Amino acid sequence: MGSDTKALRNRIKSVRSTLHLTKAMGLVASSKIRRAGEAMQKSRQYADHLDGILSVLSASPECQKSPYMRHEGDRTRLIVVAGDRGLAGGYNANVFRLCRSYPDAQIIAVGKRACDRFSGSYISAEHFGGKEAYALAKQLCDDFVAGEFDRLGVLYTRYVSMMSQEATIRWILPFEKNEAVKPVSAVFEPDEMTVMTTAVPEYTAGVIVAAVRESFLSEVAARRMAMDSAGKNATQMIDDLQLQYNRARQSSITQEITEIVAGSDVR
Amino acid sequence: MKPYHLVISTPDGSLFDGEAGLLALRGADGDLAVLAGHIPMMTAIRPGSCKVVLPDETERTGTVDGGLLTVSEDCVTVISGSFTWDK
Repeated sequence: MGSDTKALRNRIKSVRSTLHLTKAMGLVASSKIRRAGEAMQKSRQYADHLDGILSVLSASPECQKSPYMRHEGDRTRLIVVAGDRGLAGGYNANVFRLCRSYPDAQIIAVGKRACDRFSGSYISAEHFGGKEAYALAKQLCDDFVAGEFDRLGVLYTRYVSMMSQEATIRWILPFEKNEAVKPVSAVFEPDEMTVMTTAVPEYTAGVIVAAVRESFLSEVAARRMAMDSAGKNATQMIDDLQLQYNRARQSSITQEITEIVAGSDVR
Repeated sequence: MKPYHLVISTPDGSLFDGEAGLLALRGADGDLAVLAGHIPMMTAIRPGSCKVVLPDETERTGTVDGGLLTVSEDCVTVISGSFTWDK
């Protein structure tokens, strides 16, 4: 019995330290949520501005000849955005599950988990900034024009609410002509094609930054929820173990008393 | 100076969103300035300095690292990956 209570005591201690850890991680995640939400809103506004410009440009007849409007072939390149850390529920697993639907795609990984899985170099999702996005977007646009791939998408996690996040793909290149947008009578300096050639890398970078920031917000929200439920489970487990421990302790005391009484009776 | 609505949008948020009287920067075809009532226009921006004159005649200057300028009937928008105001 003595060894039983000792083992239970050790387990309670270990679960309690796990509870501390989950609580701390939950608090860190909650403190990051607000900042991540603001960053996402800002980059989304920027991407929306560029989206509006590109839909006007892609409606112009002159831009139909642009290499960015080429629709042929199916060689896919995917930017996969996952988290820097685990312990965020199904956040990383959902991204990788969706990624398995594109087995032939060339992968560019962002976030430590994705980098560990797909490539050696490490790009942090939390500290991913405009500079990295521009370098990456420029390279990708040059490769697309050179015909190295036919379709570019970003696989990220869409933030629906605190409770729900959804892994999804946003296709960036090539551009679809938006039939709903009528060509506008604006002056293009020097011409539509030059404006489009400048706008596309900006747009690509804007979409990448917006996707990475939205993914990061989804990651911290997922971690917060995962840590909340882990904390609840740990508390429940401690309660159960404490009950078992008390029973074991009580039964060992009862046994000892019984033994003492039995011993005194013999004499 | 008649004011118009100017937005300077970057991935880190809008660095300016309000009334301006004049915007001067370097476009794809050379230096240009936008006043109220400018015809709708779209142009690429070259890296360089950018000047904004507010309706009360105060001037603000900044550095823009390329991007796009769109002039529509109700709003002038500068979209750039990197824009910093001078101190």
